[in-house]
Amino acid sequence: MTLPTLRIFLLTGLFLWLPAMNGWSQSATFSLTTSQGSRLEIFSQLNPLAINTIHSWELVLYTADGAPLNGAQMSVVGGMPDHDHGLPTSPVVTGEIAPGRYLLEGVRFHMPGRWLLTFDVTSAQGQESATLEFQL
Amino acid sequence: MTRILIAGCTLTAVVGLLAWRLLPDPLPAEWTPAQRALIQSLSLSRLPATPGDPSNAVAESELAARLGHRLYFDQRLSGNGEVACASCHQPQNYFTDDRTLAVGTETGFRHTPSLVGLAYSPWFYWDGRKDSQWAQALAPIEAGHEHNLDRLQVVRLIAEDPLYKSQYEALFQPLPALPGAPRAASPLGDELLRRNWESLGTDLRQDINRVFANIGKTLAAYQRKIKPGRSRFDDYADSLTESSAVIPGSLLSKDELAGLALFIDQAQCISCHNGPLLTNFEFHNTGVLAIAGQLPPMGRYDGIRLARQDEFNCLGQYSDAEPGQCTELRFAKDDNELVGAHKTPTLRNITETAPYMHGGQIADLKAVMEHYNEAPTSMLSHNEAKPLALRPVQLKQLEAFMTTLTAPLQTEQKWLKPPGG
Repeated sequence: MTLPTLRIFLLTGLFLWLPAMNGWSQSATFSLTTSQGSRLEIFSQLNPLAINTIHSWELVLYTADGAPLNGAQMSVVGGMPDHDHGLPTSPVVTGEIAPGRYLLEGVRFHMPGRWLLTFDVTSAQGQESATLEFQL
Repeated sequence: MTRILIAGCTLTAVVGLLAWRLLPDPLPAEWTPAQRALIQSLSLSRLPATPGDPSNAVAESELAARLGHRLYFDQRLSGNGEVACASCHQPQNYFTDDRTLAVGTETGFRHTPSLVGLAYSPWFYWDGRKDSQWAQALAPIEAGHEHNLDRLQVVRLIAEDPLYKSQYEALFQPLPALPGAPRAASPLGDELLRRNWESLGTDLRQDINRVFANIGKTLAAYQRKIKPGRSRFDDYADSLTESSAVIPGSLLSKDELAGLALFIDQAQCISCHNGPLLTNFEFHNTGVLAIAGQLPPMGRYDGIRLARQDEFNCLGQYSDAEPGQCTELRFAKDDNELVGAHKTPTLRNITETAPYMHGGQIADLKAVMEHYNEAPTSMLSHNEAKPLALRPVQLKQLEAFMTTLTAPLQTEQKWLKPPGG
């Protein structure tokens, strides 16, 4: 791991250890680009993120042109590669609450450290995926 | 000359080995911002208000807590009239006992877990087979080796005791009439109990179940009051400032500070024992040996299946929650990683709650540290923990840190003794 990356990890870690506040994040907690060039923005119900509290995320998908990507099927898997285990819950996308905006319920993290999540998306434009890595 | 050389080499080796085993590393000069944030994240000052239990409408009711308190200490809530909740979850022992395995009407199969701070847990029992404190409270009453009573007799006890009856009916609906019903009945238990249960009509069975569930809700309302108190560690964590030098003092000694440094870093204890209650209330396989005379248990792998089948779970007809509020149950994980996994216990007051692990398999904290340092191969599935390669002096330092986590409970004294006692 390079020093700048390590710094980002440590700073993110500090940020995430702050006491959790209620209310959805106003700006995207994470922003990713999928394998097909779509954009995935993630908004968390826990702001900032914290361990040991079950909560929801909103996953907002845009095509490479910036249009909402609606009608997609989404799933997420993940875990802690350094600890050789997965997520403590099985989060599920339970609905599309607005065009291109999907509700992911049942998110919980139970350990501080490095987390890796993979989002799989199937839509009219085919299959794509995005990987999120962050430090809690 | 050769002899002198051999003696010199041997002496050097012995001194070196002793130094490796016994000499402590120097303490860090000061905590880094990241370390300080981790330490402060463990302080009781960071503990949020007790989370609500939407499945229990009387969770915050003082009257329910008073009824639950009385029931908690009442030995009539058992088949032989000698066992109460307090028999194993003893207030004077941080709501556990000194035993390896619990003893109710008979010796049981698991070590008695502490109830301190459990209102913050989404799951109950070592294997998480219950998803609320009230649903958990019901199971021991009907377990043959614990209270060995049945739910119809519980309803009768409430109906026949004027104080219980008046408190119950002030909280809930009037008790059901039981004309012609047998003395005892339950869908669990021996053949006679089950046959009696089947002889009751569907409506009466539901009425009895509802009273039984309500009794669990009062027991939960009481148990929600059992909270840990501030320990020396909390005072230390709260004393840290932006320029925190690591200096042994009146709050934490040199060994305790060194143990804390290991706890949050090299020993990785904080991976699972995190947050102000020093537990993530999750399920982990840490390679603990099977309980003597028992097969290795499947742990949470079976526990989540039992929780889903439980008629008293959050989604069941006796729950007060809307289905959308049952997020832990709806999105619970269910895969092979859970084989042999048991719930992380709190480390609050851990020096006073020996022995340790789900079967009390490990007698003392020294042996616990040695277990995690070795991280033996699990008998079922895999041990999530990895060998730590800590030196004996470091294990002693970790043990020293554990002593900083003990404190009198925050709970009012009146709840720690029998009502009127």
